[in-house]
Amino acid sequence: MSSWQWVLVILGVLLVAVAAGLSYMAGSPRDAIGMVRYALPHMHRGNLQVGSAAPNATLVALDGATTFKLRERVAGKPLVLVFGSFT
Amino acid sequence: MQLFDDYKDHADFLTIYVREAHPTDEWQMKSNEKDKDDVCYAQPKTLAQRVAIANDFTQRFKYPVPFGIDQMDNAANDAYAAWPERLYILDENGYVAYKGGNGPFKYDPKEVRAWLASHYGEVKRPEPAPATPEKKS
Repeated sequence: MSSWQWVLVILGVLLVAVAAGLSYMAGSPRDAIGMVRYALPHMHRGNLQVGSAAPNATLVALDGATTFKLRERVAGKPLVLVFGSFT
Repeated sequence: MQLFDDYKDHADFLTIYVREAHPTDEWQMKSNEKDKDDVCYAQPKTLAQRVAIANDFTQRFKYPVPFGIDQMDNAANDAYAAWPERLYILDENGYVAYKGGNGPFKYDPKEVRAWLASHYGEVKRPEPAPATPEKKS
């Protein structure tokens, strides 16, 4: 085999190994694809650190109409923020 | 939410609902399909859809924690790098006092409990009573 063919073989083996590893990590090949396509673009560390001023995002109440600023809920006590979704 | 019950006299809590993690039209998990409560939703495309899912959640679980919903520009999610789940504690002046790891693997409510315990004391809960063995007839 020429050196180019060897490079292709090695790249192919590496690709299969990465795919297998991701599938194992995610639980299945379908989940691995989902993770790469939908999770990785959205997961990041962000810029906030301990000591940063908390961003004052505008949120909507459960009535769907009332809005409030996040920092309005800081009222003389620590405020625990629980970010998440249903699924 | 045990943490809320234990420390609600010392700290305020706010749940912020962000974009769905495993909607049916993106990366749906098999566990959501199998869940007896059927947690199957498409990614909301409008605020009304997001509000509807948030209300379903709070009503279904009689969720007691104050609630806010991120708007469709995902400003809160982006500012706090929240997706899919993350915990923060803001101090009394609105500065970040604790930033939790990104879920699911680094999301750890025990760290929040430890922070609150270090400031307000540990809340000990009674050990659950051992299950009574069934009597053989």
